Amino acid sequence: MDRRHFIGNSAAALGLLAGFSGQAKASLQKAEILVIGGGYGGATAAKYLRLFSNNTAKVTLIEPNPTFISCPLSNLVVGGSRNLAELTSSYDKLSKRHGIKIIQDSVTSMDPEKKTVKLASGKTLRYDKAVVSPGVTLIMNSIEGLSQANKAGITLQAWKAGPETVALHNQLAAMRDGGTFAISIPEAPYRCPPGPYERACQVANYLKHHKPKSKVLILDANQDVTSKGALFKKVWAEQYPGLIEYLPKYNVTAVDAKTKTIKFEIQDDIKADVLNLLPAMSAGEIAVKTGLANSNGRWVNVNFINFESTAQKDIHVLGDSIQVAYAMPKSGHMANQHAKVAAAAIVAELSDWEINPAPVLANTCYSFVNDKEVIHVASVHQYNAAEKTFKPVPGSGGLSPAPSTLEGVYAWGWAHNIWADSLG
Amino acid sequence: MRVKHLKPAILLSLCIGIGQWSISALAQNADANNLYKSSLAATCANCHGTDGKGVVDGGMPLINNLTSEQMLTQLKAFKSGAREGTIMPQLAKGYTDEQLETIANQLGKKQ
Repeated sequence: MDRRHFIGNSAAALGLLAGFSGQAKASLQKAEILVIGGGYGGATAAKYLRLFSNNTAKVTLIEPNPTFISCPLSNLVVGGSRNLAELTSSYDKLSKRHGIKIIQDSVTSMDPEKKTVKLASGKTLRYDKAVVSPGVTLIMNSIEGLSQANKAGITLQAWKAGPETVALHNQLAAMRDGGTFAISIPEAPYRCPPGPYERACQVANYLKHHKPKSKVLILDANQDVTSKGALFKKVWAEQYPGLIEYLPKYNVTAVDAKTKTIKFEIQDDIKADVLNLLPAMSAGEIAVKTGLANSNGRWVNVNFINFESTAQKDIHVLGDSIQVAYAMPKSGHMANQHAKVAAAAIVAELSDWEINPAPVLANTCYSFVNDKEVIHVASVHQYNAAEKTFKPVPGSGGLSPAPSTLEGVYAWGWAHNIWADSLG
Repeated sequence: MRVKHLKPAILLSLCIGIGQWSISALAQNADANNLYKSSLAATCANCHGTDGKGVVDGGMPLINNLTSEQMLTQLKAFKSGAREGTIMPQLAKGYTDEQLETIANQLGKKQ
């Protein structure tokens, strides 16, 4: 008898015992696993649930968008050196190569008691395990007037890559030479800590070549640059002198769309030509709506050993929606890593195996400072069983010493590989 | 329903189930161990491809032409600082020697 056959028989016997004692739990092969959200976290979770179960787990991925568009690198589209098509991948391989059922729809509600989700199309699906990876919600009403200004097409956020990313570039391209592009940053935590500073570089790079009398204003609610600070400041001084102005502790409270005026908690009003105001952020809408956001009502606390929500059993939450551990960034790379820990834990749990007691997460984040040169930050986080959290390993990780074109090549290498790892 | 239908087989299954339990637990541990090793190696996949099979001409150095032994030597050189690099010296320092060995065994070319 081969081992697989042997295990199958034993599992059947065990299943029978479990059924007999009234403690039935769905086995790996029978469990309905729903993955909500097909970004870096959800797509990776769906694929690795299949890989780690030797393609035996039943996995359904629910994602409203027809294609995957990468947020990482989308600042290059804002700056005009790349286009959105270069950042777009298909979901086809997840279904064709990995046997994942893909439903193009959005989840409107979840019932953790009945273990069901309701889709916008009206369908209701049952789950034994749900993996929720809905990214972030932009809290538009955290800045007065922002919602209306966005609807009027005057202020764009472009913090989820897609049509707004292109529209923001078009605003930049239409701006007069001598104009001001203002980007505002909410207090951390928010999606992609170095993202706004990278965007400032990309906008400045465009202005340097096309509208050199213009400037970029960074209005940061934080005390200082939240990621790669010394590196970014050096780049601003050396590559974009007079082009980028950095203003820390500038907390935006309101915007007047008609006059393009930005209002602050403390400082005087500022007018700009292009307004890219990033509001405060929270866990994705479905996570908040389902009552999972039990950290200040904004982020989801999880058990880091398996990424299960502390609010609801059998709902595992990944990526930008979670209340992060110390020094854990909200990044696409990290979401992919969360997904692998969660997928392995779910497969182990449904197989009645011990969950890996010592998972590891690594993070790599590249930022383009112009169209070719890149800086990085990297870290490794080992699970600490005593404190039940991930902690960065002392002496590991770090930053680039300076921007380089070699890291520019690696950044594209990273992109092609992580897209293939998550979706291919 | 399923339990009811299978009732006549319960006693037999119980005997088989219990008789096979110790062996089955071992087999399960072997599978659980494989899962552990795969999931650890998967922390490298973001940059170096699923199962170490990176995108050819994608811009990132390929690692799947290395044997497990060669890979471990490189990983340890990154960790000790003997080999320079951009990100790898920083990442290798975050893994234990045992974890690096497991990764090299998982992703390296078998001879």
